[in-house]
Amino acid sequence: MKKNYIMGLILLGAIFITAYGVKTLMQSEPPMNIKGLVGGEKYPFLENSEVKKILRKRYGVTLDYSKAGSIDMVLGKLDGLDFLWPSSQVALELFKLNQKEKNYKSEIIFNSPLVLYTWKIVAVALEKNGIVEKKGDTYYITRFKELINMVMEGKKWSEIGIGELYGRISIIPTDPTKSNSGNMFFGLVANMLIGDVVDSTSLPKILPTLTRYYRKLGYLEHSSSDLFSQFLQTGVGAKPIIAAYENQIIEFSIQNREIWPELRDTIIILYPVPTVWSAHPLIALNEKSKPLIKALQDDDLLRIAWEKHGFRTGMIGATNDPKVLQVAGIPASVEKVIPMPSAKVMDEIIKSLQKE
Amino acid sequence: MKKNLIVFVSLLIMFTGVSCAKKPRFTIISGSENKSLEVLVLEFGRKERVEIEMSYSGSVDISQKLSKDNPDFDAVWPASSIWISMGDSKHRVRHVQSIMRSPIVIGVRKTLAHELGWIGHDVKIKDILSAIKSKKLSFMMTSATQSNSGAMAYFGFLYALLGNPEMIELSDLHRKDLKAGIRTILSGIHRSSGSSGWLKDLYLKKNYDAMVNYESIIIETNLELIRNGREPLYAIYPVDGLSIADSPLGYVNRSDDAKEKIFLKLQEFLLSKEVQQKILAHGRRTGITAVDVSAIDTTIFNPDWGINAGKILIPIKLPRQEVIREALELYQTAFRKPSLTVYCLDFSGSMTGDGIEQLRKAMELILDTEKSKEYLIQPSREDVIVIIPFSNQPLWQATASGANHYELNAFLTKLQNQQPAGGTDIYTPLIMALNTIKKYNLSHYIPAVVLMTDGESNTGAVFADLERAWRSLGLDIPIFSILFGNASRSQLDKISELTGGKIFDGRKDLLGAFKEVKGYN
Repeated sequence: MKKNYIMGLILLGAIFITAYGVKTLMQSEPPMNIKGLVGGEKYPFLENSEVKKILRKRYGVTLDYSKAGSIDMVLGKLDGLDFLWPSSQVALELFKLNQKEKNYKSEIIFNSPLVLYTWKIVAVALEKNGIVEKKGDTYYITRFKELINMVMEGKKWSEIGIGELYGRISIIPTDPTKSNSGNMFFGLVANMLIGDVVDSTSLPKILPTLTRYYRKLGYLEHSSSDLFSQFLQTGVGAKPIIAAYENQIIEFSIQNREIWPELRDTIIILYPVPTVWSAHPLIALNEKSKPLIKALQDDDLLRIAWEKHGFRTGMIGATNDPKVLQVAGIPASVEKVIPMPSAKVMDEIIKSLQKE
Repeated sequence: MKKNLIVFVSLLIMFTGVSCAKKPRFTIISGSENKSLEVLVLEFGRKERVEIEMSYSGSVDISQKLSKDNPDFDAVWPASSIWISMGDSKHRVRHVQSIMRSPIVIGVRKTLAHELGWIGHDVKIKDILSAIKSKKLSFMMTSATQSNSGAMAYFGFLYALLGNPEMIELSDLHRKDLKAGIRTILSGIHRSSGSSGWLKDLYLKKNYDAMVNYESIIIETNLELIRNGREPLYAIYPVDGLSIADSPLGYVNRSDDAKEKIFLKLQEFLLSKEVQQKILAHGRRTGITAVDVSAIDTTIFNPDWGINAGKILIPIKLPRQEVIREALELYQTAFRKPSLTVYCLDFSGSMTGDGIEQLRKAMELILDTEKSKEYLIQPSREDVIVIIPFSNQPLWQATASGANHYELNAFLTKLQNQQPAGGTDIYTPLIMALNTIKKYNLSHYIPAVVLMTDGESNTGAVFADLERAWRSLGLDIPIFSILFGNASRSQLDKISELTGGKIFDGRKDLLGAFKEVKGYN
């Protein structure tokens, strides 16, 4: 009986010692906790356990982050925050305009081109009509302006040889007044209509066309991830062509390895020529968060960003090896890129769309 | 040994302490089309030791509830994500993910579908419109201002009548020719309701020709019809589009981490391969991408019922939010078939005090157009409202037109002055209500009687009297009951059974029950 009693005590003691030991061990090198706001599309990357491990072990950093819209975060209050990680250069510009006095540092960590997603039957018809050209495995929209004109004229799918689809040709973005990818899509369309980067002088010429395009779209989704899942779930009839980020399909193919082989040849990525980049600039708001800029450019992190999440590295022109991916038609580099209109011009566009 | 036991027991309590705690509660407000999936949600609750409560409301109503200041639910599950976007102006909803998809179709009695020449052919909305115009087709549809399926069908009709424009604009809604056209179509509705799930129950009870509903509900209805040896419905997918419901489940953030964790677990559970397979077996389209047709059970997605899981579905493009709002308001005030509603209101002695106050407030909501407008239940100019207060006998009867604010306000004053007293006879006022309805030309109205009572009927007429009166009319007039206080559910059940009505529980929220019942007429 006495023996059992002692055994019980030893057991209890052992539990407490182990618990205490684990706790002190964890406290021995406390990682620096950095707090910030990030665009939702980078959430899966930051949640990736390998990413967390590298940041903690190599750089002694843990991140505490919440999801926020790119525009909201740069215009909002910065109290208690160490960094912001929006998903566009325009957001960075807006930040600079609004937070002049801050001692910040910023650098673009990732890039992802804006692309269109469509279905095989649509891609084939567009190719036949000379809108799209296939080079190697990649589909390029070489006559994007013509495609926009078709949409503006209200041309029917049947007129370009797709009898299966009822109604008129459309390209569906997210709501440009609410979401970054839709905003970029309108920036790109504006540039295409002018044939150059739109500025304040050329904007009035195309603004009526942009607002008319917006009106044709009706109700739009507010987030690119919702739009992308609806594209997949409701199919070619509901969402024949959408505008979204390149990295979404890469991430999807990895997270859904089992079903990906069946989809690989039916979902087609169309690269507008030229396209616009969605840049992901990290804005370090204080000294504490500045080392994070370097940490996030760790070679292994950049490799994971590309292979698992589809983000290209921050330097334009750098190549990312598409062979490591399971997705067909992704080029090693996206060379023909046009800058987005300035934040001021985009702001004017958004304001006139909101009036609609 | 004894002490050892104490150590052991205390360790045991340490580790199992969680399970001894009270189960956490988690509430979901959902579209009624999800009712048959409640078993799966409850299964999760049992497994995770969470008390889950699902309550049902029309999707448009869910959207309105979401826009209010203090939502009292943890998750929303409407039929379509547009209702979250429109209602969530305060950005409270997180982690929204579509659980399954189901297109909205028109289920038509198979022999009628055959007669109309709709089997094996493409059907356009205009074909449906001409069948309605020539009185070959009448149908049931939910109220567009309460429920997703009704709203989406209504937008489908609007497009077709406007000649399929690329997008509906505000100015289109006020075109003169539209009003006449849409009124003709909506006149084909002989039964409306606030929820699509209830339409199925009604269809099974009575004999109707057709209903606008989800593919999944048509499948559920057919499985029962076949079991009962009845003719199935044939699903028509108009090629120029109805709509696809995407059933998004979203978490309503009220800064409670524990609830957020429960939510994420529940969502993961519903999206797991195993549960998605079960949901597919319920006639919903599941999976990360469009349904894999080869894997489908054709006894459920039955081609003999017109169910075609492989067909490319082309939903209508919905207009901008302001246009949606305006269209819904016009539906309520100008386009829908006018309603003829007789309210039989209990003023017996037991209503004294709080009961009568609540009743007066509820009637204020119905009769004061400024208040009813907020919930899109305001009367149209052509609606007719009759009130019969009763105790052991009908006390008086008054009639008002929806166009006449003076009359509506006079009702409120009269109700304010009427004091509760006496016993309860629910049947005599109901017979009086039926006799009143009989005098109207019912091809112009959707008629209904709304009975609100707080006690057991124990004097005057009996159920057999009501039954005789109802049957002798030979009309499809539902009696909806609002249960309050100590009302007898069995008495009200018999009335619903007879008339194809429904009981609304007003004991927790009388105002809410009155509001809900309005969506059914």
